[in-house]
Amino acid sequence: LPTPPARLPYVPHVPPMALLGKVTATTFALERPLCVFDGHADASDAVWLAVAFANASATFRNPRSRAEVPPYKQLPTARSYMTLETAAATYSCSAPSPPVLRVGGDTACRDQGRQDPCNGPLPSPGPYRVKFLLMGCSGPKAETRWSEPILLRRAVSPGTIDPAPTRRGSDVVVIASILASLGAVLATAVLGALGVKAWGSLCRQDLGTDAFTRRSYRTHHIPPVLPRPPPPGCGCSPPGLC
Amino acid sequence: MAKSDDCIHILQGLLVFGNVVIGMCGIALTAECIYFVSNPHGLYPLLKATENNDIYAAAWIGIFVGLALFALSILGIIGVIKASRTLLLVYIILMLITFAFEMASCITAATHRDSLTPSLFLKQMLERYQKSDPASNSDKEVTKTWDKLMLQNHCCGVLGPSDWQEYESAFRVMHNDADYPWPRKCCVLDAQGLPVNLDGCKLGVPGYYNSNGCYDAISGPVNTHAWGVAWFGFAILCWTFCVLLGTMFYWSGIEY
Repeated sequence: LPTPPARLPYVPHVPPMALLGKVTATTFALERPLCVFDGHADASDAVWLAVAFANASATFRNPRSRAEVPPYKQLPTARSYMTLETAAATYSCSAPSPPVLRVGGDTACRDQGRQDPCNGPLPSPGPYRVKFLLMGCSGPKAETRWSEPILLRRAVSPGTIDPAPTRRGSDVVVIASILASLGAVLATAVLGALGVKAWGSLCRQDLGTDAFTRRSYRTHHIPPVLPRPPPPGCGCSPPGLC
Repeated sequence: MAKSDDCIHILQGLLVFGNVVIGMCGIALTAECIYFVSNPHGLYPLLKATENNDIYAAAWIGIFVGLALFALSILGIIGVIKASRTLLLVYIILMLITFAFEMASCITAATHRDSLTPSLFLKQMLERYQKSDPASNSDKEVTKTWDKLMLQNHCCGVLGPSDWQEYESAFRVMHNDADYPWPRKCCVLDAQGLPVNLDGCKLGVPGYYNSNGCYDAISGPVNTHAWGVAWFGFAILCWTFCVLLGTMFYWSGIEY
């Protein structure tokens, strides 16, 4: 009987650093399992990533050889698959490498249906659990623990967005109320002035003493008062001195 | 008599001064509204697509109101100096009509500014950006405007790139999530227009994608536009109110 694979205490997880795309609707990122397989891996071994639906992880059976590895396109039926076959040396302590792995980033292999391990996008939001499996020529040699369930993002329809403003701004109220009152005052003043003038000219009343600007001044001709002729009988030559 | 002559002259002087200010403000309002209508920031297609471009209607009204104010102020100055009842009556009535139009313009600009919320632009962007078979020209215009906006302001989405993740969109129908978590224009691009680091952009590594939203780049110019029309018009109307009251008082004192 082949020896059961060594259970390593490492738990795969989504990287803790702030990456906006670490979990999207069809992909997720994992921290690289650096230094995890040192001491268990030979040069020819490969590390695989097993991805399973969270409720199917308990029933996942490690494949006994490379030929039995469940491929990507069996995910809907077998509820699990294995991907990201990488040489064990890539995960050794001294290997320089980018710090994250992206699961689901390869859309070309999904469309072309190749038989190679395909890192295709995940078809549903999950949740999924993953573990790393070290496979040698004779079968699995070591495995990590299953990760916590990883739930992918679910997008909602934009019809749920309500574009109405949450509250009416106070500026609008100020402008509208002040302008409306100014307009009303002006309209009243004009109507009032016109009305008063019309009423005044109808009743022919002299409207008080707002006596400024005279546009035209009707002049009244005041005939000059002629001096009274002296009473007859006084023949004085200088007038008034008799 | 001499004292009331002085009062007359002071009132005439004040009215002429008031009308000069109205004339100058009218020209300024026309110039400001022409500037806004000329669409300097290229945001007109977005506003037109919201079917709510009353801010532009308010600016158009502002152009004509400004010219009317200028012409009426000249009429007012002539009427005050010649102390002509007819001219001043015509002036008052036409000014009231202009007052009403400008009032409409101010209130429209202020009200519709309030309705331009981030949610409105978000919904429009999700439904129209890169729509696969654009139903109308306005969809193509929306796409071009957004591309230009994201490129020039180094921003992504309305609130951020996560807009494309949180909501389904017309963009998502055409571009799968694994290759395009957000549009390529959200990535930091080099001189040739290609992403500097595509994998970094897809993962959301800081420095390889634009993390801030474009709402500030939209609301800044739109706010300036709306408040420029609304508050400047409001100030002109307050001043015009005082001048009109003075003119009515002067008019009622003129006797034939």
